[in-house]
Amino acid sequence: MTAQEVRLCGLLLQEHFGEMVEKVGTHLLKSGAQNLRMILHETGISLDLLKKSLCVLVQHGACVFSSGRKGPGSPTEYRTSCDRILRILRYPRYIYTAKTLYGDTGELIIEELLQRGHMTMSSTVKTVADRLTQNMEDGRSMDYNDVSNSFSNLVETHFLQRCPPPPRAGPKESATPAPHPVPGTPTPLISTALPTAESFPDCYKVPHVTLTGRGKRPLSSEDVDDQRNSKKAKMDSETHGDEGICWQVNFERFHLHFRDQAIISAVANKLDQTSSEIVRTMLRMSEVTTSPSATCTKPLSANEIFRSLPTNYNIARPILDQYLTLLVDDPMEFVGKAGESGGGMYVVNMHRALANLARATLESVVQERFGSRSARIFRLLLRKRHLEQKQVEDFAMIPAKEAKDMLYSLLSQNLVQLQEVPKTPDYAPSRTFYLYTVNQLPTARMLLQNCYKTVANLIERRLYESKESKRLLEKSQRIEAILASLQASGAEPEQLTEVEEMITAPEKQQLDALRLHINKLDSAENQVDETIFLIESYVNSTKTTS
Amino acid sequence: MPHLDPQQRALAINKLLSLGQLDLLRNSSGLLYRMKDGQGASKMKGSDNQEKLVYQVIEAQETKKPLRESCVWIWSRDIRFKSNLPLTEVNKILKNLESKKLIKAVKSVAASKKKVYMLYNIQPDRSVTGGAWYSDQDFESEFVEVLNQQCFKFLQSKVDLSMDDIETILNTLIYDGKVELTVIAAKEGTVGSVDGQMKLYRGVNAVLLPTGMVRTPCGLCPVFDDCQEGGEISPSNCIYMTEWLDF
Repeated sequence: MTAQEVRLCGLLLQEHFGEMVEKVGTHLLKSGAQNLRMILHETGISLDLLKKSLCVLVQHGACVFSSGRKGPGSPTEYRTSCDRILRILRYPRYIYTAKTLYGDTGELIIEELLQRGHMTMSSTVKTVADRLTQNMEDGRSMDYNDVSNSFSNLVETHFLQRCPPPPRAGPKESATPAPHPVPGTPTPLISTALPTAESFPDCYKVPHVTLTGRGKRPLSSEDVDDQRNSKKAKMDSETHGDEGICWQVNFERFHLHFRDQAIISAVANKLDQTSSEIVRTMLRMSEVTTSPSATCTKPLSANEIFRSLPTNYNIARPILDQYLTLLVDDPMEFVGKAGESGGGMYVVNMHRALANLARATLESVVQERFGSRSARIFRLLLRKRHLEQKQVEDFAMIPAKEAKDMLYSLLSQNLVQLQEVPKTPDYAPSRTFYLYTVNQLPTARMLLQNCYKTVANLIERRLYESKESKRLLEKSQRIEAILASLQASGAEPEQLTEVEEMITAPEKQQLDALRLHINKLDSAENQVDETIFLIESYVNSTKTTS
Repeated sequence: MPHLDPQQRALAINKLLSLGQLDLLRNSSGLLYRMKDGQGASKMKGSDNQEKLVYQVIEAQETKKPLRESCVWIWSRDIRFKSNLPLTEVNKILKNLESKKLIKAVKSVAASKKKVYMLYNIQPDRSVTGGAWYSDQDFESEFVEVLNQQCFKFLQSKVDLSMDDIETILNTLIYDGKVELTVIAAKEGTVGSVDGQMKLYRGVNAVLLPTGMVRTPCGLCPVFDDCQEGGEISPSNCIYMTEWLDF
C-alpha cells in the first residue's frame, strides 16, 4: 500500500461514496486490520455513521471482516485492500465491454451490479427491466425473461459470480445491504484465509427463479402514494426462490478478457488481421480450460484451430499452417509450438506476451518523454543487458557528448541503473567497470506508481475545475430546472426564451469550455487506466512465476 | 675498406652522413653503415641533423606496422622523448617537416586536442579517424541520420535483404524498434552468408500505440516528482494541464 495508492483510493471513495466512507476507508488502508472500537476511537466518527460506512464498504466488497486475531471470542476485525477500490477506476471499461458483448441488457445488468455491489438475481432483473422499459417507446415494455436470459448468459461465461457466504453462521442475507455484525457476538472458529467466491462449487450456478412479468414505467405523481402502499405489500409477498443468493461482478474474468484483447490487438498491429483472428480463435477455445495465472494456454492442435475458425475466414489449411509458423517465428513469441501431434500443437504464451507488452509500454514512455534517441539507448540496454559507456555510444551511433547527456538524464529518472564491477577489491574508480543496465520489473513497478499519481492528479484537477465554476454550474442547473418545470406546465415560447437568456453568452461559452475540460480529464483517466492494467497484469504474472 | 685509415674513414663517413647519403645503425657487434637510396637522400636534402632525427623517429613507427596495425602514428610528446630534443625545437622541426610535405598531422578522434604525426604517404587508420562515420574528426550525425532513414525506407519496401557493410546502421534501426532481425541457416557460398548463417532484416510496425500514460501532461511533465496537492506545483495550478485542456 504505497502513498500514491492510498491517495488515489481516497479520491475514488470520496467521489463515489462520500466523505465519511472515504475517511473510514483511508484509515483502514493505512492501519491494517482493526476492530470496531479502535476505528471508532481513532477516527472520531459517531458509531452510527461508522457502522453505515462499514456497511457500504462491505456491500461493495471493499472491506472484509473476520474474527479477531486473539481467537473466537475477540471482536471482529475489518480490513480493506487497495486492489478492490482501485477497480472503481475501471468501471466504465467493464460496462463498455458488457455492452459490446451482450448489448444494452448486459450493459445495464453490469452497471446495476457495479453500483449496488451485491444484488439478488430477481431484484437485478426487475430493476434492469424497469430501466429498459423507460427508454422504450410508449406501449412497449421489457419482458423479464429476456433480462433473465442475459443474466444467465453472463453467469455462464463467468462474468458474474455468486458472492461467497459470510464467514459466520449468522442471520441470512437479504437483498438489502448485508447486516453489519455486532462486535462481541461469539462466532465459530474459522480459518484465517478468507474463502474466495470461486472456492464454492455453486458459484456459477444460476438458481431456479420464478420470474414472470414485464418492466414497469415510472408512475406519475398522483398514483405514487396509493401505489407505494400496495407495492410494498406486493414486494413482501413476492418471493422468487433465490433469497440469500447474491451476485457480484467477477472482475478477474473481465481482466482475462482485457488481457486477451490486448494480445490480439498487438498481433494485429505487428502482423496482420488474419493472424490476429487466428490468435483470437485460439484464445477463445482456451477461455474456460486455462487458469487465470497460467503461463500459457493448453496446447491446441492445428486441426482444432482450423475447425474452430470463424466461417467467414476461408483460409485454406496450408495457409493456416504458414500463418502459425509465422506466429511461432516472430520474435515477440506470442505463439509457441508445443509438439507435432495433430498437425502441430500450438500454445499462446501469456506471460511472454504480457512481458513484451509491458516492455513496449516502457519504451513508449521513454520515447515520448526523452526523445527517440534516448529510446534507442533504452532499447539497446534492454537487449544487451549490461554495457559500458563507450559501447553504448558505438552501438547506438550517437556522438559521445550527447550519449553521455542522455544516459545521465535517464539515470537521474531511475530508468537506467549503474552496475559497478570492480577489478580490484578496493573499488577504485579507475579500476572499476561501470556498466549501464535496465531492469524491467522494478522499472515497471515505478511506472505503475507514477500512473497512480497521474490519475490522482487528473481527478484532483477535475474536482478543482468543477469547484471553480461551482457558482456557474449551480446557476445553469437552476435555470434548467425552471425551464423543465415551465415546459411541463405548458408555458409560452417567449417565457422559455426569456429564461434561457438569463445565461449570458460568455457564461455559456465558459460552461461549454468547462464541459470540454471535464470530458477530456475523464477520458484521460480511462487512458491511463489502460496503461495501469497492462503493467499490473505484467507485475502480477511475474509474482506467480517467481 | 681496409685501404683507408680510420680517421679518413671517419671523416668520409661523417661527410656522407651529413649529406644524408648514409644511414647510421647499431647492431650487437658494432656500428653499421648503410647506403641510402637516391630518393631517400633527396628527400632530406636541406634538412639539418635534428630534422633528420625527428623524421627517423616518425619513420620508425611505420616499420612497426606489421606488428601493430593501429600504431603507425606517434604523438608529439613521444617524439620529444625519443629524440631527446627540447619542446620548442621539436615543434619547429615538425612545422618544417610538414611544410616540406614529409609528414602530416592528423587530429585524433579519441582525444581531440592531441595531434598525431605520421609519414605523409600512409593512410590514417580507423581507430584514429573513426572510420566511415567521421569526416574531419566530427561525428557525422547528420550522415548517420540520413542513412538511418534511407535504410528504413529501403527495407520497408523490400522483404528479405542481407547487407554487409551497413550492419551497424541496421542495428541502430533495430534499437529504434523499426526493424527486426532473423538469422537463418544458409549454405556456404550464398551471397552474404557468414559461417553458414545469413542475417535477414525486415521492416516492422510498432506493437503498441503510444500508451495512455503519455497522452496526459503528467506523463511528460519535467517536474512530476515535485507535484503535490497544496504545494507550489500542484494539479490545481498546473500550467501544462491548462494548456493541454485548452488545446
